[in-house]
Amino acid sequence: MAAQIFSFLSAGFIPIMGGIIVLYGIIKKAPVYDYFIEGAKSGLKTAVEILPFLIGIFIAVNGLTASGILNMLDHLLSPVLKLLGIPVQLLSLMLLRAISGSGSLIILQDIMENVGPDSYAGRVACVMTGGCETVIYVLALYFGVTHVKKMRHALKGGLIGYLAGIVISIIICRFI
Amino acid sequence: MMNIVWAGIFLASVFYSAFSANLPALSEALTESSSEAVEFVLGLCGIMALWSGLMEIAERTGLINSLSKLLMPFTKILFPNQRDPETLSLIIMSFMANIFGAGNSSTVFALRTMERLDADNHHRPEASNDMCTFAVVNMAFAPIFPVMAIQIRTELGSDDPYSIVLPSVITAAATIFISAALCRYFERRD
Repeated sequence: MAAQIFSFLSAGFIPIMGGIIVLYGIIKKAPVYDYFIEGAKSGLKTAVEILPFLIGIFIAVNGLTASGILNMLDHLLSPVLKLLGIPVQLLSLMLLRAISGSGSLIILQDIMENVGPDSYAGRVACVMTGGCETVIYVLALYFGVTHVKKMRHALKGGLIGYLAGIVISIIICRFI
Repeated sequence: MMNIVWAGIFLASVFYSAFSANLPALSEALTESSSEAVEFVLGLCGIMALWSGLMEIAERTGLINSLSKLLMPFTKILFPNQRDPETLSLIIMSFMANIFGAGNSSTVFALRTMERLDADNHHRPEASNDMCTFAVVNMAFAPIFPVMAIQIRTELGSDDPYSIVLPSVITAAATIFISAALCRYFERRD
């Protein structure tokens, strides 16, 4: 039941929020259309500004995936995972999740097709994909619109948070 | 920082593909991904304009002011020194869009937030505490409710596609807490 309400809110996020904002504006007798156009203009400017950063990040990430280096790491690290009792199928997802969101959805589907969506590994894969964001991409994009050259602890914090998410999802799926 | 990370990733792929005789694949990936980035931004342009337009209305009519006052107790925990109502509501909207799995919308709010935090920071080359906290915590906020995963599970005939919701929510909540605590710790150490 709660899940259904959530699905509804999730699908209706844009129209519901938009409806509230426009209705409030009309009640306040504001020129809502003029405001909208002004905001849209500045939004487009931001979208164009982030393009160079995105190209830089897409090149690095897709290059890394295509080079096959992740497969090499996969082979290298799978004995470690076995030792820890973590399903090795999860490894490629752990590695890719940090750098590519769309890529990891494909891997997520692969894993579930191989081990079944209701298996332990399948469930951990789902929680892992949902619970973490692509660290490198977010940082490049977010700081791309600022004048910041030194990100201080943003990268460190993001990566440790990412690792924490992986560890927690592996533990929690044993119990729930 | 980004210079080292970017160069590291780039050179690692070039050297590794050269060693494993995989250069053609890399070459294709590099050319393709640059046009993919343009397509992605084109897609983002629309939703960016949509939300920026709606937020402009919300800001000028004072809706944002009331919203951020309402949620002040919550934002104060993460951003104790942030007073600007518009920045605070953009932060809240970004988190909310993430919670509801509206990823692209969340990106829009996040970018607007960063622009405002940058102005707040007087466009200095060093990131402010609020910038770091926001970036790190917003990463952890990402899809608390894993819509895509549920969809794939349903397609693959799972017995209970929604069984991952509770663990996902707990994982995300714990990650958010840890990320926020990490930022506090790094701030103190600096």
